[in-house]
Amino acid sequence: MSSKTAKPVMRSAAWRISLWATLAFACGTLLVFIFLHRFVAGDIQRRSDAWLSGEVEVLGDVAERTPKNALYDRVVGEVAELAGKEVPNKDLTENRSNDSVFFLQTGSDGSLKLWVGAGSGESHLKAIEGTKIVPDRPTDLDVRGFEFPFRVASIRINDGSFIYLGLSERDELRVLRSLRLKFFLLWLLLVLLGFGIVFFTTRRMLSHVREIAEAASRIGHSDLTARVPTTKRNDEVSHLALTLNRMLDRIESSMHQLHTITDSLAHDLRSPLTAIRGKLEVSLSAVTQIEQAEPIVSVIEELDRLTDFLNKSLDVAEAKADALRLNRVPVDLDELLRIMIDLYEPSMSEKGLLIRLQSSGALTIEADAALLHRMIANLFDNELKHVPAACTINLRLSTEDDAASFIMEDDGPGFDPEVLSHLFERRVRGKESNGHGLGLAFVDAVTRAHGGAVTAGNRESGGAQIAVTFPLLANEQSRAPMAAMRGAS
Amino acid sequence: MTESRSLHDNVFIFQIPGCTYQSCFVAGLIAENPSGMHYDPLMRLLLVEDEIDIQSFLRSSLEEAGYQVEAAADGKTAERLAVDGQFDILIVDLGLPDQDGISLIFKLRQMGLHAPVLILSARRSVDDRVRGLEQGGDDYLTKPFALAELLARLRNLLKRNSPSGTEATRLRVLDLELDLLRREATRSGELLQLTTQEFVLLEFLCRNAGRVVTRSMILDQVWGMRIQPDTNVVDVHIYRLRGKVDGLGQQPLIRTLRGVGYVLKDR
Repeated sequence: MSSKTAKPVMRSAAWRISLWATLAFACGTLLVFIFLHRFVAGDIQRRSDAWLSGEVEVLGDVAERTPKNALYDRVVGEVAELAGKEVPNKDLTENRSNDSVFFLQTGSDGSLKLWVGAGSGESHLKAIEGTKIVPDRPTDLDVRGFEFPFRVASIRINDGSFIYLGLSERDELRVLRSLRLKFFLLWLLLVLLGFGIVFFTTRRMLSHVREIAEAASRIGHSDLTARVPTTKRNDEVSHLALTLNRMLDRIESSMHQLHTITDSLAHDLRSPLTAIRGKLEVSLSAVTQIEQAEPIVSVIEELDRLTDFLNKSLDVAEAKADALRLNRVPVDLDELLRIMIDLYEPSMSEKGLLIRLQSSGALTIEADAALLHRMIANLFDNELKHVPAACTINLRLSTEDDAASFIMEDDGPGFDPEVLSHLFERRVRGKESNGHGLGLAFVDAVTRAHGGAVTAGNRESGGAQIAVTFPLLANEQSRAPMAAMRGAS
Repeated sequence: MTESRSLHDNVFIFQIPGCTYQSCFVAGLIAENPSGMHYDPLMRLLLVEDEIDIQSFLRSSLEEAGYQVEAAADGKTAERLAVDGQFDILIVDLGLPDQDGISLIFKLRQMGLHAPVLILSARRSVDDRVRGLEQGGDDYLTKPFALAELLARLRNLLKRNSPSGTEATRLRVLDLELDLLRREATRSGELLQLTTQEFVLLEFLCRNAGRVVTRSMILDQVWGMRIQPDTNVVDVHIYRLRGKVDGLGQQPLIRTLRGVGYVLKDR
């Protein structure tokens, strides 16, 4: 679980959803802002064009009516200057000389007749000559020496001369630029805000999903009474939780049924077995002749075998249905194997078998101790029964990734090739085997119930190999107190 | 069983379950009793078991073993009997017709019963509540069981429940002596070369001298596992131990009771 919480935020679903949502949102708002910008820019242009057209008409009118005497230049010049002070979109903060407007009148021969504005007007005239300016329609005009283009409207008056009124686009562009900056900041703010909101809401929602998933994985095989957490809201997540819980209800009830069946089967068979065994023991105690005791003893032994078979087949049946009940406690595999070797070594050396363990020390897993004991005993019994004299049995215990790996190898004849492909099935046994054919099925069942895996096969160099892996549920923290306990005792 | 012939050299026939108990009792008074305790000749035992067949053979075997047995076939009768009679120990089957065995034990405990309980279970898995009771000083046994094991568990429960004297540091059975502190065993004064495990096994046999111990009892007590190997692993251990303890010309101490288990002779 610690690995889940340590998972970087960037790899979470909430992060990806937020990224995509933000991308869509950013594109959308960007389009809206572009549209707004175009609209505003067009509007400003229209307003300045309307002003230009109006003013140039007024100036044309004035120029026509003013008599062409010595005062003409002054009258028209002052009117033009006055008009220049009412420029739309004017940046009021700047108090420089009014260089954003110019008034230019050309004679019918195209020469500069009257100039009002900054500079001599020569460069403006050159620019006007180089551009085709249609009267009554404002046009952009680039003038050499000026950073910003001018918007120029012209009119032809009846004496054949042209009047040009130019308005620098400087202020207009400045307005648009500050508008763009504001738009950009606003857009950035909106996008970040949107990302934040989407990220936190999806993360909150997905954290419910994660809680459900974690709870569901905790429920596992053995504990089916727990349920995933539900919320009061009526959304998809709470539906998911409710559906999972309903499913768990059904699984629990069918598991319960299976347990009831196996329990009552066990009970119904064990009670007569107990009575028979007890009566046999009582009658054995009354026997004085060894010949009379022999059959009773062998029946008792058969009964014990039958009991063992009954236990194992019910365990295998439950494990096949993923319903084996486990009572998990920390078990040190290294210690368990050493005890088992201690128990089996005399029988093995009696038969001329050598057994060796290769282990790097304590290796604790969470397992059902009783089942694990029976399973390992089963593997040892198998070796003892099937491996011929003068063979070596090698046990290797190691940690691989997040699993405890236990490998049992021998240099005997190996598995019968005929049964090799279905070793873990019930009632499969080699030709020479006198067992009930449950051994490896039981080993497989116990391992699976613990979330592990078993493989069995023949080694290339001859002999059988059985490899068992168990997930390492116990981490270092739970191993430490075990070691401390062992140290104290 | 795949016991080799050599393991059968010391077979004798199991007499009566009770007899071994009685002999131990007598031995306990006369000689040094390994367990260091004295039994009341008439321990009162309440047997709660609904299966008539099981009840009858248990009753007879327990009576032979020296217990004064009262039997009940259901929870109600058991409650009534438990109130009236002062019992030293109880055997309770979990599957009773009228109530759950565990609920019965809890009820009896609430009524002020202190005697230890041996739980018999025919169920597959050991209930968590049974584990709880086991921690509380009671014990359980799954069916089917060997009579010797049942008797041994009853003795253990009684021993745990009786005021304990000082723990013995030496065990003596006839001419066999075990020094529990130095982990050394001597036979007729001669030191036996035992491995650690062999010493633990011999100690277990000595503590139960004169009584039958089964293979599953040995596996449980010496190796700490409740398993049923279908090979002769325990027999080989006993055979090796016997080779060291019962030397040439000496009286054989460790005996095999076929189909039952082993006994360390104490007279």
